[in-house]
Amino acid sequence: MKEQLEQIRAAAKQALSGAATGQDVDALRVRFLGKKGELTAILKQMGSLSPAERPAIGQLANEIRADIEQAVAQRMRAMQEKATAHRLQRETVDITMPGKVSPQGCLHPVNLVTEDLIAIFQSMGFDVVDGPEVETEYYNFTALNVPQDHPARDMQDTFFLGDDLLLRSQTSCAQIRTMETRKPPIRVICPGRVFRADEVDATHSPVFHQCEGLVVDKGITMCNLKGVLEQFAREIYGPETKVRFRPSFFPFTEPSVEVDVSCAECGGKGCRVCKDAGWIELLGAGMVHPNVLRACGIDPEVYSGFAFGIGLDRLAITRYKISDIRLLFENDLRFLSQF
Amino acid sequence: MKISVNWLRRYVAINVPVEELCRRMVAVGFEVESVEYLGDTMQNVVVGRVERLSPHENSDHLVICSVDVGADAPLQIVTGAQNLFEGALVPTALHDSRLPNGAHIKRGKLRGVESNGMLCSGEELGLKEADYPGAEVHGILILRDDCAVGTDLREILGLDDTVIDFKITANRPDCQSVLGVAREVSVVLGQPFRPPVPTYRTVGGDVNDHIRVEVRNHDLCPRYMGRVVRNLRIAPSPDWLKHCLRAAGMRPINNIVDITNFVMLETGQPMHAFDLRDVAGAQIIVRNAIPGEPITTLDGKPHELNESMPVIAARDAPSCLAGIMGGLNSEIKPDTTDLFLESAKFRRDNIRRTSRALGVRTESSGRYERGTDICNVAYAMERAMQLIDELGAGDIIDGVIDRNEGLPQPRALNVPCARINALLGLEIPDETMAEILNRLSIETELRDGVLHCKVPSFRDDVEGSADLAEEVMRVYGYDHIVGAPMRGDVVRGKKLPEREKTDRVKARLTACGAYEIMTYSFIASRAVDTLRLPENDPRRDQIQLRNPLGDEYSVLRTQLATSMLGVLATNFSRKIPAVRFFEVSKRFLPRQLPATEQPDEAPTLSLGLYGDAEDFFTLKGLVEAVLALSGGTTTFERSDEPFLHPGRQARALLDGKSVAVFGEVHPQVLEDYGIETRAYLAEVDLAALFAVERPRTVYRPLPRFPAVVRDLALLCDRDLPVGALRDAIAKAAGKLCEDVALFDVYEGAQIPAGKKSVAFSVTLRAADATLTDAQVEQTVAAVVAALEATGAVLRQS
Repeated sequence: MKEQLEQIRAAAKQALSGAATGQDVDALRVRFLGKKGELTAILKQMGSLSPAERPAIGQLANEIRADIEQAVAQRMRAMQEKATAHRLQRETVDITMPGKVSPQGCLHPVNLVTEDLIAIFQSMGFDVVDGPEVETEYYNFTALNVPQDHPARDMQDTFFLGDDLLLRSQTSCAQIRTMETRKPPIRVICPGRVFRADEVDATHSPVFHQCEGLVVDKGITMCNLKGVLEQFAREIYGPETKVRFRPSFFPFTEPSVEVDVSCAECGGKGCRVCKDAGWIELLGAGMVHPNVLRACGIDPEVYSGFAFGIGLDRLAITRYKISDIRLLFENDLRFLSQF
Repeated sequence: MKISVNWLRRYVAINVPVEELCRRMVAVGFEVESVEYLGDTMQNVVVGRVERLSPHENSDHLVICSVDVGADAPLQIVTGAQNLFEGALVPTALHDSRLPNGAHIKRGKLRGVESNGMLCSGEELGLKEADYPGAEVHGILILRDDCAVGTDLREILGLDDTVIDFKITANRPDCQSVLGVAREVSVVLGQPFRPPVPTYRTVGGDVNDHIRVEVRNHDLCPRYMGRVVRNLRIAPSPDWLKHCLRAAGMRPINNIVDITNFVMLETGQPMHAFDLRDVAGAQIIVRNAIPGEPITTLDGKPHELNESMPVIAARDAPSCLAGIMGGLNSEIKPDTTDLFLESAKFRRDNIRRTSRALGVRTESSGRYERGTDICNVAYAMERAMQLIDELGAGDIIDGVIDRNEGLPQPRALNVPCARINALLGLEIPDETMAEILNRLSIETELRDGVLHCKVPSFRDDVEGSADLAEEVMRVYGYDHIVGAPMRGDVVRGKKLPEREKTDRVKARLTACGAYEIMTYSFIASRAVDTLRLPENDPRRDQIQLRNPLGDEYSVLRTQLATSMLGVLATNFSRKIPAVRFFEVSKRFLPRQLPATEQPDEAPTLSLGLYGDAEDFFTLKGLVEAVLALSGGTTTFERSDEPFLHPGRQARALLDGKSVAVFGEVHPQVLEDYGIETRAYLAEVDLAALFAVERPRTVYRPLPRFPAVVRDLALLCDRDLPVGALRDAIAKAAGKLCEDVALFDVYEGAQIPAGKKSVAFSVTLRAADATLTDAQVEQTVAAVVAALEATGAVLRQS
């Protein structure tokens, strides 16, 4: 009987190794282990054994059953793995085919830089405010220390709509509107659209965008102005960026400065981008003129402040190395989809 | 302001190279627009004397010259010119010289005879008759006898000069002059400033015997000075004067005219010369023009004046547009013998307005409108007298007319040094401040930490402590400003709610594949015709620009469709197959026309699409996506926008209020824009959209009981809107209705004519229990009944 059992074991293993499909394996399982299978048939003869033989044969029979079961399972798994491998191989894709994405649009490049700028100044505690694009002479000029028929009115060619109405030529109007409605401490920026009667060319557009900044508080100094602008410039152009002040003139600030940043392209050594100057003109700024503070009911003996105005279109143009400002307003999809 | 470096040297020693001078001037606030090296194109050309002329043995028309150029031996030069003579002084281009016409002269042989350079004609040197007498004569330029042999020709021609074009800011009218710039140069170089101190001879007499001057409006003319010069000897100016004028870009004319121009450039004070014979009645009246009064200015143009314009009148008629331009009737002529010279101050705002009103701008009006110094009026007059005497241009009559209502004292400013340091955030020593201000001609005494300043009249811009801070700082050097953080509470800045909401709209649209565009705020006034807007459409009420760049940009837009259509057309014409664009900008809605108040600036979203994948419903989907950002219930109704397809447009309402109109563009409009494909437009009123607050999200528990889904295939009239069916289903299903989804609309085979098949998937669910079959059947029955009432029946399959 022992020999019979061993024969079954050997036969099962041999048969399994020859099985080609899952069905074959299943058939073998039935043949050897099923209710009417070969092993069961042998075990039915156990009764004919002597009590002394029975435990040993029984143990062997169980061992062989387990052995065959394991062999069946193993063979089955191997078959499945093979089938899976085959399927996976069949399913191989051409990874150079293009990916499928939901279409994603994008903000206009000028607004992309504007959003960056807003985030930087928000982090420094500046509120973001808005102002009207159609302004009165008072807000665009008079309150900004540019009286009627003052030569400083020639600094910008202004679009007029009526005797007292114009398209704002600068976001500086926001300084006045802010100081009229808020009391110090004031920290605001006002990004927005401005207009000048410039003929259109590669560097001029009659419609462009600025961001005005204004801080008014006790003890605000020109060093604070530089500190804020340095932080801004470093966030935009990189941590090594240097900031330089050059004296200039704006009617609504005193002292007034032009602010340059070291050229991000060459690090200040001089290159084509900065026209060998090593510096790029970034914005105009200065300490708020006492007359402007006074016009808004703020005592210049108690408070001081600074203001700055950044050209947003130019910021976008330098960041993305855009060759012609007209591209910004042409709105060719092939341009807009690059950002 | 173009400034000749040689002219500057008359008043201040320049001990640094021009590049360094420019750098230092920029550092104190004078931007350099350009630097022009006048003699750059002429090198190695000197004065030579023709010693001997001998014939060329191989040529009839060539001559051999022996030319003394101040070297050890004379040079042999061959020339073809016929106007030479022994002893003539001529421009001699030496070996390896360069001429303004680009020629590079080297030694060589002409018909076998060695020639060590070239003798030059005026033309070869780029000269005109006005630059040098005889320059346009055929042949070699014969130089004047007083030229020293060997001298660089650039020196003779005044080309050994550099002209720096400084950008003078509007607060520094005093630097619209060579002396003003020289004063700044003296500060930056630490060199003494040496302005001319005028002295001159007079011939006696009394100016009052020759002319009377009356100023009727001192408000417009705070100071008027006059002098008389007789027995004029009108002649060309000396070279030095011509060179100065030419470097400044002015054409020399004759000594008298040149002196007035020179003094204006030097001092910044415009001068005006009258032919005394033309001053009728020997009387000058400074007055406002009579309304409609005519004048013909020096340039031959007639003008009609109004009463705000100041004129210089002789007895009856105006002879000069005060401060702007002389009249044709009183200019200096070659035979003028007696001169009345004017130096005056006119109000800058008035000159500015008058000059603009008449469209006449001159060197003089430019200076007046930026502001002139009342004290400088006298200095300029003195300086002119000195030059007239020096040039022997006439006999100066004693006495000066000076009409004014008092001259200002220097402005006294007393400012603590600490206040200046507090504004700057620095600790500049008090003494340094005082020293800088004194160098700037602001007389300053330091007492107990307070700067006691006397600001001269030419620095009218210095009004208070902030101005003094700037004066100190620009000389002290802005590099001393070191960035310092601000102090204060640590807070993050806030955006206005409208901006936050706009940001969300933009984010939603870019996530839908739309690109943001930017267009001008002004459009062509006739664009509303292209949009087919009826005569009474309020969007025809557009605010006109008074000074537009052209017809294309003449009005502020009252709608964004025009701009969007333009962008769609641009992209279509460039063969771009499909676009999805949006713009957020303002519509300008006037409160009255002509506008006297600021208009309503309505924040507006515009959408524009075209392409194979786009139709009315992709557009509607975008509109719905945007509207979903607000709270409220969205409904749609048919609209009648004239520039949209009458059957494919709708108005969206939020809680019953109109927020958007959208639809397919009318084919006629598409044709007018050259867009040969269907395109879609939407305009969303953002103020109306944002007015409906989105309720704060409160979590709903996830469903715990299963849903039952029933599909309903319906048959109804073709014209019955599916929205009506959907609403009927939702209403009839009541509380159990979780979702009603349209999944098919079909017309055609197996559907009777005039009918359509509509299929909905209805999801029913109770929040608190599993629905029983009976509940479901009851609800479906109610839904079917409601649908039948609406005009739809279940399709029998």
